[in-house]
Amino acid sequence: MEPDGQLKPSTLSTKDLPWQILWSKEKCNLCGHCTAVCPMRAIGLGVHRKRVLQVQLGLAEKPGNLFGVYHGIRQETDPANACVGCGMCTLVCPNGAIAPIHNDEPDKLKFHLNQGGAPRQRGGRRNISGSLLDQIKFIRISMLTDPALDAGRHEFELRTLLGRILPPEEALRVSREGGWIPPVREIYPLIIGSMSFGALSPTMWEGLQMGVAYINEELKIPIRFATGEGGCPPRLLRSRFLKYIILQIASGYFGWDEIIHALPEMKEDPCAIEIKYGQGAKPGDGGLLMWYKVNKLIASIRGVPPGVNLPSPPTHQTKYSIEEAVAKMIQSMSMAWGFRVPVYPKISATSTALAVLNNLTRNPYAAALAMDGEDGGTGAAYNVSLDHMGHPIASIVRDAYLNLVKIGRQNEIPIFAGGGVGKNGNLAANAAALIMLGASGVQVGKYIMQATAGCLGSETNRCNICNIGQCPKGIASQDPRLYRRLDPERVAERLVDVVLCFDTELKKIVAPLGRSTSLPIGMSDALGIADHNAATRLGIRYVI
Amino acid sequence: MFQKPSIIIAGSKNGFRVDSLLLEERIQNAVNDGHRHIEIIAQGQHGIGGRLWKSGQEPVLVRVLGTSGQRVGSMGFPNTTIDVVGAVSDDVGWLNAGAKIIVRGQAANGAGNAMAQGKIYIAGDIGARGMTMTKHNPRFDPPQLWVLGRTGDSFAEFMAGGVAVVCGFRSSATDNVLGHRPCVGMVGGKIFFRGGHGGYSDKDARLTIPDDDEWRWLTSQMKIFLEEIGKAELLPELTTDRAAWQILVARRLYEQKGAGRRSISIFRGEVWDRELGPGGLIGDLTDQDRSPIELVASGDLRRFVPIWENEKYLPPCQAHCPTGIPVLRRWELIRKGQLQEAVDLALRYTPLPAAICGYLCPNLCMQSCTREQAGLPAVDVTLLGRASINAASPVFAPATGRRIAVIGGGAAGLSVAWQLLMKGHEAVIHEMRQELGGKISETIPRSRIPDEVLSHELGRLEDHIPHKHLEHPLTEAEFRMIHEKFDLVVIASGARKPRLIPIPGHERAVAALDFLRDSRLDQVKVGQNVVIIGAGNVGCDAAVEAVRLGAKTVTLIDIQEPASFGVERRSAEAAGARFLWPRFTKAITDESLELTTGEVLPADTVIMAVGDQPDLSFLPNDIRIEKGFIVVNEKFQTSDHRVFAIGDVVRLGLLTEAIGAGRVAARAIDDLLRGREETCDQLAPVNPERVKLEYYDPRLPAFTDTGSCAAGCASCGSCRDCGLCETLCPQNAISRQAKGSEAYEYVVDANRCIGCGFCADACPCGIWLLTENEPLE
Repeated sequence: MEPDGQLKPSTLSTKDLPWQILWSKEKCNLCGHCTAVCPMRAIGLGVHRKRVLQVQLGLAEKPGNLFGVYHGIRQETDPANACVGCGMCTLVCPNGAIAPIHNDEPDKLKFHLNQGGAPRQRGGRRNISGSLLDQIKFIRISMLTDPALDAGRHEFELRTLLGRILPPEEALRVSREGGWIPPVREIYPLIIGSMSFGALSPTMWEGLQMGVAYINEELKIPIRFATGEGGCPPRLLRSRFLKYIILQIASGYFGWDEIIHALPEMKEDPCAIEIKYGQGAKPGDGGLLMWYKVNKLIASIRGVPPGVNLPSPPTHQTKYSIEEAVAKMIQSMSMAWGFRVPVYPKISATSTALAVLNNLTRNPYAAALAMDGEDGGTGAAYNVSLDHMGHPIASIVRDAYLNLVKIGRQNEIPIFAGGGVGKNGNLAANAAALIMLGASGVQVGKYIMQATAGCLGSETNRCNICNIGQCPKGIASQDPRLYRRLDPERVAERLVDVVLCFDTELKKIVAPLGRSTSLPIGMSDALGIADHNAATRLGIRYVI
Repeated sequence: MFQKPSIIIAGSKNGFRVDSLLLEERIQNAVNDGHRHIEIIAQGQHGIGGRLWKSGQEPVLVRVLGTSGQRVGSMGFPNTTIDVVGAVSDDVGWLNAGAKIIVRGQAANGAGNAMAQGKIYIAGDIGARGMTMTKHNPRFDPPQLWVLGRTGDSFAEFMAGGVAVVCGFRSSATDNVLGHRPCVGMVGGKIFFRGGHGGYSDKDARLTIPDDDEWRWLTSQMKIFLEEIGKAELLPELTTDRAAWQILVARRLYEQKGAGRRSISIFRGEVWDRELGPGGLIGDLTDQDRSPIELVASGDLRRFVPIWENEKYLPPCQAHCPTGIPVLRRWELIRKGQLQEAVDLALRYTPLPAAICGYLCPNLCMQSCTREQAGLPAVDVTLLGRASINAASPVFAPATGRRIAVIGGGAAGLSVAWQLLMKGHEAVIHEMRQELGGKISETIPRSRIPDEVLSHELGRLEDHIPHKHLEHPLTEAEFRMIHEKFDLVVIASGARKPRLIPIPGHERAVAALDFLRDSRLDQVKVGQNVVIIGAGNVGCDAAVEAVRLGAKTVTLIDIQEPASFGVERRSAEAAGARFLWPRFTKAITDESLELTTGEVLPADTVIMAVGDQPDLSFLPNDIRIEKGFIVVNEKFQTSDHRVFAIGDVVRLGLLTEAIGAGRVAARAIDDLLRGREETCDQLAPVNPERVKLEYYDPRLPAFTDTGSCAAGCASCGSCRDCGLCETLCPQNAISRQAKGSEAYEYVVDANRCIGCGFCADACPCGIWLLTENEPLE
């Protein structure tokens, strides 16, 4: 309410907010921890006047009033300070006296998050809990396999290929003629990213990179990390760890001068180059790094002034068609590393994906196609893009794979799928489903943030403030006061845990199929779903 | 070499292979019939020699000639010895529960799979997955598998007990006698082997060498093994070189933990930072400390910092008082028990504290009082104003000898003269009228202020301020003379010239100021019906007076919504005056007033209250005027820098505005005379939302005495030294520090403060501000 008690259209009560702070006067110790950590300044100390009516039994004396004042935790109702439900207050409360709870009815705040005529932007996820991938089951279980595989105890390697694989006769011919054979990487089917240095904090990024290096060098699992748009720290470019990195170029071209300058000094080629044309979380829109995350460090890596908004254009500026863009950029990127590095485009999953794919099949330099589905997460996007734009990943992967099958090239150009893989925690199952639908591997971001750094986002509109630099876990902030909450070593440790468990779980799924060396890519006869329409659409078995 | 069997069972009949079912039946029948030494000419039958419990404790020897099938000796009993003269197929000794099985040749895959007791002696190599899933039941001796040669791949998978001995004798590849990846999932038992290995599941097993006991066991048992397979002569070759033997044992759970890889911390130091350089990924780009911190941090790492903004903003009352009286300070003095000082303070700001604050002022201070925003009654400054009748005159500064002429002895003139007097200058008021006070004493109705208050206050001023009564309007020549004679001149002659609207019959109308002046002297008759053109505050005063003088109907008309407010408006309404708008006068007739609408209002008297204008006929041309008013700068200086102008000659306004202008002009004049140049930017008013009114009684209907006012004043923006912040701070980071005798401040210990903002949220006066900490980068 206004101090003068006047209602305004956007005057809200806590009842109108999506998250309400439940506070116990009895348990509260007034220690101030909750207000000190609240990222939104959604809570503060309230001064409350309290009146107790003093009435004696039998009305023996004239009734009286006893006024007093007490202090407690009060929730702000200004839309700018609305609670986001992150629960940091609960985390730091020594007495369990405070917690955000979800409103029991649809919130009214969403009608007021456009103050000043600016549509809501946020980070995070779609906030739709359903997942088709979760519904897919692996129904073809072999009773005995040869060799007998115990996924937990047998050590066997799961690998996939990133790169253009020539058909055998073609490979023979080229090799006989001394021609160019496209580079192919044998990598782990789980790719982390794409998440930029800038969207993520330095501690988060370093933790993930360190974990990736550890997993490669200590555990010998060739996992890869895709940088996202925003460049790459110069030291990493000049280190041997570069081979674990997929460098991204996108429409903002941030940080590419550093990469070019590092070319003569690179000890290793990068794993691959990803050309971003689209992102599942905000299809048709570019990156939206806001000024509060562009500090000196980020600015220097990106080659821009500090404290400016860095929206990337939705599309590559000097390219006039996707065909032209793909052709030109793939060739240029290949040239930069002497045609030794696979180069592939990443697009948002779209009903027009097959046109891009068909084009790629005719482009001898195209190494793969990555597609990012509507469930992809992001550091910043317009609400409307996050919630309403994009294509589910499962059906587009299936369409793409079957299209390749139709033209007989399913073993030549790999498809990588991202967007909501593991959104509800079922990382290996979702990955296996996509692989059996036709993907050669998956790209994962959100799950990694949750599992390795304790991201608070959920599919219930929790937190989602990655875009404003206030990430309370220090994952998506450039403020040392926040990102120093995150210890990169712990992030790396968690990444190791995640990958080891993913590995075992994926093996638990593929071992019963008798697969121990090659992934069951496109092995859709192993899949079933209890949804007839979905089964028909995906061309998998309908099971109930 | 072999003893003669008591029965020979053939595995074929008439050239055809006997089914495994029939052969089994014949063997079981033979044992049942008392045969204890059976020879079988096998032809690929499976499971030969198992389950021969029917002999009870008596040993049974089964010799297998020919070609044995799979699972020889499966589920073998302790009484049974099986001697296979040749090679065996898969799974020899499968689920063996105690039989001794001698194989005088090679064994195929799965030798000893899942056996729990018994011994299997193989005089050659074995295939894949030997000694897998073996058990050791503590009620029995552990099972043993002896292999003279080498094993196939996946040896000892999921082995849970027993002993395997792999002699590596004449092995085709002695560099690896255990095949590919033995010991996966091994949880118990041990494997003696002679020769090399090609790796094993390090996670599950560990490599060691035989200790003395183990060596003794191995050599003694080796003798038996070799004798059983008929190769006793090999003993020296196999037992001479102890160093050739190694053991693989299952890791205990505690040994598995921590086995293998180095920690991330070590990796960071030894690999990551070594490859990238000190500081890791971005050590070359920033010196920023990135080491982990606590979630609830203090000092530089706090996100928010409280600032004690005492008196950084004006309280709304003072900010809105045109006179600039520090209202809040006066209540504070009363709270400290210094009532007289509080009262006296007023005279330093206004020469007429009782008359104006107590009676005539609309009290903008009260209108802006923060308390009003929460529906609480404003602190009643009129109580303090009226008490100021007893204010003691301040001490005047020593005389400077500078002389200033003040034209006009109204509120503005008195204010500037009073202020100049306090600063030691001599200000001489030139007043046209007999008495000082201007409009206050001339036109404001007596009902608004008691005569004795006014005369007391004017008397106080007359005692101190020299003044001349000109008794006629000032002329330009006189003004020039004054201008010559004095150091500076302040024009404060007011707006005394009524504005008249030139409508037909306007000469019948009486100007409001004239009417009010005459009505104070009771020298006017108004008749039954009075119409007042212009419904501002002057019009309201006129209306009240008209009623007092006997009018039955009083109507105020205006061309727009009347601008009147406050006491004047309320008094007029209380007196029964009627307000009409928008109305435009067409003409004034003898008995009425005609409106453009055709409406006719009966009017015995028509009073014109559409504002007044200064009479500036005395003003020389070189002083700039605009639309009838003198033009001044923000210090009230005119285009002639030796001439100032204040009050209604500059802009029509409230008494308090005239008084305030006098203060500002006096300060400017003082600066000018003393050769100083000072800017006096006024502080911004405090944001009332910072003030907490929950600390006050919400049910107090109105204030009745200065004491309760002082207690109820929220002291907006000015610390009342209640100590709540010091008490409340959960980190004990706030402390009160004395600075001299009276002064103090509250300070924050940054190393304790966590930036919770409790101080800012709880401060009754809105002093503490919680602000974002300086960016770290």
